[in-house]
Amino acid sequence: MGTLIIVLTYIAYVLIVTIYTIKVRKWLKMPPHIRWDLYPVIHEKHYRYGGSYYEEQEWWTKPRPKNRWRSLLYSLKDNFYMGEYYKKNPLYWLFLLPWHLSFIFIIAFHILCFFAAVSMACGLEIGASSASLSGQSFYYILLVTGGFSFIAGTCGSLGMIFIRLYDRSLRTFSMPMNFFNYIFFLIVYGSGLIAWLAFDPTLDEYRTYWLGLITLSAPALHPMTLLHIVLFDLFLIYLPFTRSTHYITRILAYFFIRWDDEPNQRGSKMEGQIIELLGQKVSWGAPHIAQGKSWAEVATEPGFIAIKKDSK
Amino acid sequence: MNRLIKIEDFSSCREQLVEIDPAELIPLPPPYDKIEKPPIRKLTDDQLKRMDASLDGVVAIGLPPPSGPEEEKAFIDKFLAGLAKLFTVENNWTFLQPLVHTLEYCVKCQICSDSCPTYIASGKQEIYRPTMRPEILRRIISKYIKKENSLVRKFKSSDIDLTWQTLARLAELAYRCTLCRRCAQVCPIGCDNALISREIRKIFSQEMGIAPKEIHEKGSVQQLRVGSSTGMTSAALKNILEFVEEEIEEKTGRKIKIPLDKKGADMLIIHNAGEFMAWPENLEAFAIILDAAGVDYTLSSEIAGYDSVNYGVWYDDFQFARVAILQSQVARALGVRKISLGECGHAHKAGIVIADRVLVGDLNIPRESTLPLLEEIVMSGKIKLDPGRNNFPVTLHDPCNMVRLMGIVEPQRRILRKIAPQFREMTPHGVENYCCGGGSGFAITQSTNFPDWRNAVSGRMKFKQILEAFQDVPGPEVKKYVCAPCSNCKGQFRDMFEYYGAWKKSGIMYGGLVELIVNAMVDIEKPFHQWEWH
Ligand code: SF4
Ligand code: SF4
Repeated sequence: MGTLIIVLTYIAYVLIVTIYTIKVRKWLKMPPHIRWDLYPVIHEKHYRYGGSYYEEQEWWTKPRPKNRWRSLLYSLKDNFYMGEYYKKNPLYWLFLLPWHLSFIFIIAFHILCFFAAVSMACGLEIGASSASLSGQSFYYILLVTGGFSFIAGTCGSLGMIFIRLYDRSLRTFSMPMNFFNYIFFLIVYGSGLIAWLAFDPTLDEYRTYWLGLITLSAPALHPMTLLHIVLFDLFLIYLPFTRSTHYITRILAYFFIRWDDEPNQRGSKMEGQIIELLGQKVSWGAPHIAQGKSWAEVATEPGFIAIKKDSK
Repeated sequence: MNRLIKIEDFSSCREQLVEIDPAELIPLPPPYDKIEKPPIRKLTDDQLKRMDASLDGVVAIGLPPPSGPEEEKAFIDKFLAGLAKLFTVENNWTFLQPLVHTLEYCVKCQICSDSCPTYIASGKQEIYRPTMRPEILRRIISKYIKKENSLVRKFKSSDIDLTWQTLARLAELAYRCTLCRRCAQVCPIGCDNALISREIRKIFSQEMGIAPKEIHEKGSVQQLRVGSSTGMTSAALKNILEFVEEEIEEKTGRKIKIPLDKKGADMLIIHNAGEFMAWPENLEAFAIILDAAGVDYTLSSEIAGYDSVNYGVWYDDFQFARVAILQSQVARALGVRKISLGECGHAHKAGIVIADRVLVGDLNIPRESTLPLLEEIVMSGKIKLDPGRNNFPVTLHDPCNMVRLMGIVEPQRRILRKIAPQFREMTPHGVENYCCGGGSGFAITQSTNFPDWRNAVSGRMKFKQILEAFQDVPGPEVKKYVCAPCSNCKGQFRDMFEYYGAWKKSGIMYGGLVELIVNAMVDIEKPFHQWEWH
């Protein structure tokens, strides 16, 4: 069984990373779109009131500094606070926030477990009474992240079932898949919570499991821990097929759509890409759109060839 | 609480889906709190036979029912063909990324709903929820484009039966969203339900040739043919400019020649042609200020060069691009250094921002708003101003396109703080403003009872906000000014204030920004702004 767990875990991790990568790449590979920015744009100087560089005369002659760090922090910060939800629907937020955080914490917990296992393989003893400070720190950090994710995930999943049924707006737009997810996640987190509280309060088994993973040796685990790990692996395999990629794509949407205020400049790479797109043949069927013509020809009739030559 | 409309009802319900009940609309402060008449006129039996009004009894497009099953099938097939094209790079590179993101990643949390002025003002009618249109579209895609099997569809609640009726309702529903993008602003996932309204409109227009007459046939098509969506020809423009010059002389004693087709001028200014027809005082004020400040500019009499409107931005990428390109060609021919846009919100967003990734090579002429220029003139002391001349309550409307959609927030405020001592903000304002209710072509859509709906529902939140901004001076004896630096918004205010009788009951008037600047100019003897309702 121990060997099976190791194989399953590797399969799960390879799958989740591959599918997420494919999905993100697919998102990023879409062609440049028409500007559709929406204010406030957080990298702008006057982001507090939503001002843009268009507030200045001859904006194209002035520098347009972009504070990308502020934007990044803003978009990441919201993962831990979810302010709009708090403002608009506090009861929903009360359940959604722990549910959401449980995903972040459980992934963080596993990453930390990996590092803990590497340290253990290098001879570090991890435990409350470890001789080294890093051994003790690892122990407590793992306990907090793991414990928090199990509790938050269990309560959050239960709460999400309740709120999706209770709140009329949410209920109307809910689908069986939502409830399947909540119940499945409840089982995953709940099994982790029971395994932790009843059989493995120091999370020693988890560390052994991770040590087994990196040393490729089958760990001996309590059946409850084993069950939780199998469920967690299935959870990893299932996640990319849900809308969970939004943890990443929402940040991409902020940067590449909502805050994309980059003007198209003559001779720029973007202009080159646009010229190529303008040259593709369109097939819309309305009478005011000529058949068999390129995007630019439809939009300009005689103009496109001249434009293309001019800009080269 | 209103009836819970489900998506299934869009296909199965034979009756009109929703009846707007005046008692359910959000209440307005007195004296507008009494329900004196149904807010929306009923269509006649004859109209109902000719036009589909089965969504909410209102008509923006008014599709004629199909003559038989064959026509119905052809209609559905055409729609599906258009829908498939939305996901191809060559046909829809323009909006593919935001479209796919919104359709695939919305988590249906409904956080956006409470930001929608139409949904809230309607008393939370389910059909107007920002998520309703995308959800219908998602289901159609699942069943008819991706052809997902029925089990998957059950699991994802993505089943739908597509009938002519479903699509007729969807087409109308796409014209119940003002594209104000307030919903998109609060979406934690970065989804944009307003864009979905626009993409639905696009399928109907670009594939099926269906759009409200005022926007397409009498709008962008007319603009490309005669020069302006108002129907104003180049010759008529010249007459109007002469009239404007005479008016300026009569009002101010100044002889100003408005430059027209002046080659090599520093900038081409393009106004919304609605100003020429309905609010010439806006043009007069612009001419007076620019003359006094010694700005080197010109207007154009070429097709599209004298009308900044670009209705395509609301429904059709090609109509949009055609107008934007023509405007740039006019500027190129004149040899100006830049294009500057007058007081029109959607023309700002269309011409300055959205056109940016369509204009390439030497058509990419720098484009900007006139507001920063006006701010510079007002702040620099180039013209002498006495704020005491504007000593009446003034509030500022933020046109969505200019403010939330392009971040021009402060120049107009800094001007008003300097020239209007009783300036007060609405709540909320700036990038969180509410749409006037006339966005995305609604202000010009005059089809049957649509204006009633626009005034009673989509504009209601704004009207409430305006009344609240003036709550310390509610009576008609104190004249009040809603400053709206946008022709479309002004059109909506004109209709909406008339609908509610706001001029008579509350003394509320609307107008542009430049009129207030000129009204404060010390070397103009008579007050420029006249409190005459028009
Ligand atoms: S569009 Fe955004 S805010 Fe609205 S339901 Fe979808 S995810 Fe939630
Ligand atoms: S764009 Fe505006 S009117 Fe349309 S759904 Fe969003 S908030 Fe409502």
